[in-house]
Amino acid sequence: MAKRLKLVAEELARLGLTAVYPREWRRSIVLEGEADSWQQYIDAGYAAAGKGYKGVVNDVRVRGLEAPREYLPPVQGGALEGISYDAVIIGGGVIGCAVARELSRWDLRVALLEKEDDVAKQTSSRNNGMIHPGLAAPTGSKKLIYNIRGNRMYTQAAAELGFDFDRCGSVVMLEKSLYQLALPIVRVKALQKGVDGLDILSRRQVAQREPNATSLQHGGISLPSTGVVAPYKVVVAYAENAVENGAAVHLNTAVLGFEMEQGRIVGVRTNQGLIHAGAVINAAGVWADKIAGYADDRFFTIHGRKGTIAIIDKALGPTQKGVLALPRLGVKTHTKGGGLNPTGEGNLLMGPTAIEVPQREDWSTTAEELEFIISRHLGLNRQLRPRDIITYFAGVRACTFDEDFIIEPSEHVPNLVHAAGIQSPGLASAPAIAQDVAAMAVEILKTTREVKPNPAFNPKRRLAPELAKLSLEERGEAIKKNPAYGQIVCRCETISAGEIIDAIHSPVPAASLDAVKRRVRAGMGRCQGGFCTPALLEILARETGKAPSEITKGRPGSQLLVGETKTPQGEGSGHERS
Amino acid sequence: MSGAKWDVAVIGAGPAGLAAAIAADKAGARVCLVERESRPGGILKQCIHDGFGLVRYSQKLSGPEYAWRDIQQIKERGIKLFTDTFLLGLERGKERFALTLQNSKQAVFPIAAKALVAATGCRERTARQVFIHGQRPAGVYTAGTVQRLINIGGHLPGKNCVILGSGDIGLIMARRLTLEGAKVLGVYEIKPEPSGLTRNIVQCLEDYNIPLHLSTTVSKVHGSERTEGVSICRVDEKLRPLPGSEEYVPCDTLVLSVGLIPENDMLLPLGTEIDPRTGGPVVDQLLATTLAGLYSCGNALHVNDLVDYVSESGEIAGSAAARSALGKQNCPRHVPVIPRGDIHYVVPQKLDIAAGGQGIIYFRAARTLADASVEISAGGQALQQKKYPAVRPPEMERIVLDLALLPPGTKELSLNLRG
Amino acid sequence: MEKMLVCIQCPQGCKLVVSYSGEQVTVTGNKCPRGAGYAKQELINPCRTLTTTVKTAFVDFPLLPVRTLGEIPLKKVFGAMGEISRLLVKKRLRPGDLVLENLSGTHVPLIATDDMTMGEQNVKGSEICG
Repeated sequence: MAKRLKLVAEELARLGLTAVYPREWRRSIVLEGEADSWQQYIDAGYAAAGKGYKGVVNDVRVRGLEAPREYLPPVQGGALEGISYDAVIIGGGVIGCAVARELSRWDLRVALLEKEDDVAKQTSSRNNGMIHPGLAAPTGSKKLIYNIRGNRMYTQAAAELGFDFDRCGSVVMLEKSLYQLALPIVRVKALQKGVDGLDILSRRQVAQREPNATSLQHGGISLPSTGVVAPYKVVVAYAENAVENGAAVHLNTAVLGFEMEQGRIVGVRTNQGLIHAGAVINAAGVWADKIAGYADDRFFTIHGRKGTIAIIDKALGPTQKGVLALPRLGVKTHTKGGGLNPTGEGNLLMGPTAIEVPQREDWSTTAEELEFIISRHLGLNRQLRPRDIITYFAGVRACTFDEDFIIEPSEHVPNLVHAAGIQSPGLASAPAIAQDVAAMAVEILKTTREVKPNPAFNPKRRLAPELAKLSLEERGEAIKKNPAYGQIVCRCETISAGEIIDAIHSPVPAASLDAVKRRVRAGMGRCQGGFCTPALLEILARETGKAPSEITKGRPGSQLLVGETKTPQGEGSGHERS
Repeated sequence: MSGAKWDVAVIGAGPAGLAAAIAADKAGARVCLVERESRPGGILKQCIHDGFGLVRYSQKLSGPEYAWRDIQQIKERGIKLFTDTFLLGLERGKERFALTLQNSKQAVFPIAAKALVAATGCRERTARQVFIHGQRPAGVYTAGTVQRLINIGGHLPGKNCVILGSGDIGLIMARRLTLEGAKVLGVYEIKPEPSGLTRNIVQCLEDYNIPLHLSTTVSKVHGSERTEGVSICRVDEKLRPLPGSEEYVPCDTLVLSVGLIPENDMLLPLGTEIDPRTGGPVVDQLLATTLAGLYSCGNALHVNDLVDYVSESGEIAGSAAARSALGKQNCPRHVPVIPRGDIHYVVPQKLDIAAGGQGIIYFRAARTLADASVEISAGGQALQQKKYPAVRPPEMERIVLDLALLPPGTKELSLNLRG
Repeated sequence: MEKMLVCIQCPQGCKLVVSYSGEQVTVTGNKCPRGAGYAKQELINPCRTLTTTVKTAFVDFPLLPVRTLGEIPLKKVFGAMGEISRLLVKKRLRPGDLVLENLSGTHVPLIATDDMTMGEQNVKGSEICG
């Protein structure tokens, strides 16, 4: 017992972190004290990882650094006060929404609480949309188990939920021909891990498969099971299907604490009132440790790892078949370094980077990050130029110091399930994680009541027409039925007023400009909303019965307008002419 | 499936498209005009300020008035105008272009045209395209979006505004925002000199005491919901940020006037050659592109500063398209126009010397030059020369060349600008 | 006394030098007579064309672009904007139609610059009042 604690202390001393003090708590290790920099904080966390503890809690204070700011919705009220649910899911990312959908297979009252103004607002929309083949996940990790299973489940999930999934494959290219010697070993590894397919490619074969690939490659491996999705659309699809099957999605609802009785969670305190819960699922992303803490079960700490991604104009989409990567050995990062991939919506994207950041919700980009992406990935495809970048954004991954998923019922709170530390390959793993997490919640509920299947469950999401996918004849028919499909609002992506109106009235209604964008891509094209923003704003105002000045880009407070310009003194009076 | 057959189809009913349709009609072609918005006029609908038409009408009209004159002609001539109609597909058939159109009333329907005029205008460069960083709060708009919000919608997008870029639209919006009750804190221009016309500096900024900061740019937007401020910094002569020059300016709105990009996306599948300098198709003086029967004009061809010249190019393209559709065009014989010296770009990029008559040559200087002269020469022989007290990159220059001056056997023409 | 001005009468932007002593004003640098007139006016009372919009009673055409028919004193611009913001157009006007005869006591009329009758037939249920 004392041996591993000593190991941690020695490692901290070796790093010169003399003001960091480790102690054991339950089966985990807690770090306390002070550090001089965020890097030291991170180093301390990793020094404690992999020593056989259940988790690393890093409570080291960094001198002069402010605590991570957390967004809380500026909404108060009792809208949810006293409502009782069998299962309450905290977090509307891909895990939370997929769990909600899996739980809606059962005859249960299910609620998903999301503090943001929409689902898929944080990590789940701010990633590269990659469905990884599983090769990068370490042997023996939960990441590997869920990645392999999740990847296989995507084909069916896409068919049932109606989102685009392109199993485009990936080519990992080699920087030096010497590395080819390692490929047979990689092949055996892949086989052991359960990766579905791996081909070794010569330099010429890579060039045949991807004619625009960099000439600096020296062959590589092809992983045909790699796929891409538009991640926000996957999340929305899961959430919508959950709602169609009876689940409730409460947006702008932040969890502020739990009411505990004899070690069980009996109530979930939110800014919208106290909710009674039979079982609670912690899918709170970068704040999963904080939520665990509300139940006195904080056995891990989440630290944010920021990744910046740049999007390339659609016109260049056809220049590449699948994902391209050229890992630089000797560069130490916690991801395999990102790459250049199709987006599943016709664009290409580059990135993400990986930078440890103290702020978990700061998605700002920097010139350095963007320049890094450009220098690292743009050249992987010889057709691309910096001017082809239409936009860029950043996301923050929710990492534990053990770098593995935490997917388990709480050891101390009988009705709490954790789905935490979900970082890459979290999106790829989501369908499998959701299956297991939902099963854990059902087991919990079965201890106190009978749980029957939901007789009305329909795995297929009802789909509003997506004009881009229709033949000209079908498109014509759709317009004849509803002329709003004939009126194009977003010219870059060819999105009609009808599709936008459908999104505004969908099961998880789009109430803001960005929410519309997440569902139907209006404003995501090369003009980045320059032309369609005014029209979208007016449609949103009309359809939701709000004034244009109330319409937001996203969260409350992100109003697009400050008011109107003209104030005539009412009709029939004043200065008006004739 | 070919639908109604036209001699000429014009895509876009902005000033270029309107002029092209009228010219094609005058030349005897059966012409139709396709517009995706509900009213013709293009961007002029929202350009309510005056100053349009000095060359064409010797008057200072507002944008809607300028467009209205052409719209009246379209009506009088009975030219078919499809409004609220989107071009869904475009293919080059053996004899005709096959267009697939969409609107609410007719759903999806085909038309065919022997010649096509692309008058699709331009779009604005965005914040990310000029590499502004930070989160993505509300309150960051391009100048054209602000213009649409205020002038068509009657919406006020912000109270305290910073404008990046001193292009004409940015200057016009500085005045417009001020008149509608917003405070414009300053206009920031990365270059050492303003991009817009001097008269707009005077009547849009100086009249309202709005400061203009040259060699200064916006590097970051602050705020996560609504914009709370911007970081500005000075730049050196290579436009690189000067370390330590960063300042914070609190504001709720950032308006961008940082350049326009010709919109030719619909032409890309046709394989028309695009000039990377202009962003528009490579054309001859008849504004014929490298694809037979396809013509380009207005801001889709290259970004103009005066609408009068947009209309002029529309007229050239429209009448040439009509002649081509009616089989009146001679077989073209092309020689390249080579830009030399301090020329940034030249349009047309080649001349059809079989066409005869006059050719209008537009060019922009690569840098500001005093006492400049431009010389057109062929085979070492000077054909025409023009002197300028000054040339500036934001101001387009125009020369009319008499093709009869070209010596026989001309292989190429060169256009040389010197300071 | 000397003053430098940039002529705003046309896009050429001539750089004018205005010399004046008492009533005597001489202008140089102008390429056309309009420049001289502009410079003299600029010294006494700078005047500008005002372009803006007026609210209408029509849902399909909520704002009508307008301009002054002639220039008004620059110092009266904000007063004029205040008056204009209280107007409501209840009739479908066309370019050149009068919106106001005398804007803010300047005796300069305010005219419509767009055609509100365009596309009118496409709009169902829009009441035409006035």
